[in-house]
Amino acid sequence: MLDVDHVRKEFGSVRAVSDVHFTIDDATTFGLLGPNGAGKTTTMRMILGIFVPDSGRVTWNGAPIHDDSRRHFGYLPEERGIYGKMKVRDQISYFGKLHGLREPDLSKRVDRWIEQLELSVYQDRPCGELSKGNQQKVQVACAAVHGPQLLVLDEPFSGLDPVNAAMLLSVLDELRNNGTTLILSSHQMWQLEDLASRFCIIAGGANRADGTLAELRSAWPTRVVRVSPPSNAVRARLESVAGAQPLAHVNGAIDYRVPATTDFAALLRALVEVAPVTKFEAIEPSLQEIYLRAIGESAA
Amino acid sequence: MMEDLGTVYQAEIMRRIRSRPFIIGMLVGVIAIGLLTRLPAMMEGAFSGARSIVLVGDAGLTARAKPLLSDDYKIVGTLPNGPVDDATLKRYKAGSAIELQAQPDGLHVIAYAHDPGSLHKDELSQALLPLQLQLITHRSAGAVEKITSIPITVTTIASKFASAGQATAARGVAYTLLFFLYLLIILNSQLVMSSVAEEKTSRIAELLIASVNPTALLAGKILASATLGFLQLAVWIAAAVYLGGGGSGAGSAQAQESGMLSLANALDVITPGLVAAFLVFFIIGFLQLSTLFAGAASLINRTEDLGSIALPLVMPIVFAFIIAISALGSPDAPLAVVCSYLPLFAPFVMFARIAVSNVPLWQVALSIGINLVALYAIAVLAGKIYRVGMLLYGRAPSLRQVWSVIRS
Repeated sequence: MLDVDHVRKEFGSVRAVSDVHFTIDDATTFGLLGPNGAGKTTTMRMILGIFVPDSGRVTWNGAPIHDDSRRHFGYLPEERGIYGKMKVRDQISYFGKLHGLREPDLSKRVDRWIEQLELSVYQDRPCGELSKGNQQKVQVACAAVHGPQLLVLDEPFSGLDPVNAAMLLSVLDELRNNGTTLILSSHQMWQLEDLASRFCIIAGGANRADGTLAELRSAWPTRVVRVSPPSNAVRARLESVAGAQPLAHVNGAIDYRVPATTDFAALLRALVEVAPVTKFEAIEPSLQEIYLRAIGESAA
Repeated sequence: MMEDLGTVYQAEIMRRIRSRPFIIGMLVGVIAIGLLTRLPAMMEGAFSGARSIVLVGDAGLTARAKPLLSDDYKIVGTLPNGPVDDATLKRYKAGSAIELQAQPDGLHVIAYAHDPGSLHKDELSQALLPLQLQLITHRSAGAVEKITSIPITVTTIASKFASAGQATAARGVAYTLLFFLYLLIILNSQLVMSSVAEEKTSRIAELLIASVNPTALLAGKILASATLGFLQLAVWIAAAVYLGGGGSGAGSAQAQESGMLSLANALDVITPGLVAAFLVFFIIGFLQLSTLFAGAASLINRTEDLGSIALPLVMPIVFAFIIAISALGSPDAPLAVVCSYLPLFAPFVMFARIAVSNVPLWQVALSIGINLVALYAIAVLAGKIYRVGMLLYGRAPSLRQVWSVIRS
């Protein structure tokens, strides 16, 4: 289990992280969200032991991060890097060695990753000659070749086409099924919503919201009710709900924002009594909405 | 950490040994050695025409002049009388002709030359003085030689060398070794610098630092570069032995006399102590400069910035090399003595002093001690800059930011 316990990190007069805290269970996927400059990368670097927190602490299975635990971690930074003149196979092999792999296990693992990421035809070519997408696949292989216990991926989907993004998703699924704990940061919320079981939204170097998607949603104060077909009777009944606000018409339906505490079963019964209703939906907030609200609160 | 260091070391060796800068550096060294060992002979051949002369005049007179002039000139022919024209000089492939005339008031000399500057009147006059005395005093050549030769006994005091020839050869060897030392330190430190810069500018640094301890990463690079330095040195020594082998035998005796460098007299003055000093000061100098280079390279974001950041660090080494060259002539001059203790300067200047004089052991020990302490300080300082610099992207950090990193 990873425990990030109220960490703080300053660089001179700049406070990059003021108070970030969360825990991640083994073999789960965790989404770390936040706008640019929120402190995500600094938090990730503290998790990986690249930076030491000024206060607070990071522990892996109860022990502080040290060189030995780092051997079991993998990292795909946002700033992608590669040795342009080194061959694909040599590059993956080098990072395997740096993480403690030795022959014959090393070659087997390198072969498997080259095959899994469909890099076989490029394996003896210098990395600099590969397309950006293929270079990114090499970087993923470098980060994961040793079968890390914890894999941190900073914006792993940026620059990938849909086919390669789908391939990466299946790779991440497989890693998690094999016991790897994943930490992902991404601006593509829909991907994280499907992938991660827990989230932490940070802004201004501090937690704004954290928990499972269900927990985050339960803290959301409103829901959107979508009813079809629209009619004056339906509108009048919805407006009678305390705190209801009309939203735009969507594809022949009307949307109203209502308090999350609304009794939706009773509301549906009341609507059916006043007009014919073919569709009734109480829409949960998306991760994107929760994120934007958390960021907005921090901005305010 | 040792395992990480070994992995980085091995990977760096494999990457660098196939790199263009390393291969070019090695070849430049071999070519330089070839030039150093062959240049004196080539220069002699190239400029021999100017020192070739035709003697003109009475056969008896030219016969008496020949031994007097043969040390300084190559006499390619004799003619009974002048004047001499261009065609004659060309026929004999001579740079000039010297006509000797015995007159009642002594010897008269008329010189014909393509380049009047190639004949030095004082030198010619000095060489022919015994003949002039013979003509004026009517004495024999032997009697004149007795008058003109003054016995001079040179007694060396506290000298490292038994003879003037050996001292001159030692300076030649020291100059050559200094040149190697300079090349080895600069080239291999630049290898470390370019390796760090490559990882920084290709943005792979963050991935590396997440995988391996930065100290092990930097130490692996530096040790790999030092190993390649020794490999380079071995190749250069082999080249020197092979190319310098032609200078042995009778030629080497002449070379020893004139102070010209040849393998035979070089081996005479290359003592185990000198070899040890070379290795110790190479290691110290290389570690000091390469660590500084690595710290500096970690601050750049574009390879184009390498030159501007390297220049202030290379300048002390250039000055140190110049001072070391002057120390070969005056090893106990105050500037040489002071610089033989200063970090970055000592590896060159102290080595130069050791090569040509008897430097007290305590001075050598003090210099090594000061430079090891300085090396530790440089490693701590550059290591701090490296650890932070490798993760700094965007605008190049200001001096103030660098200072705050050092202080942190």
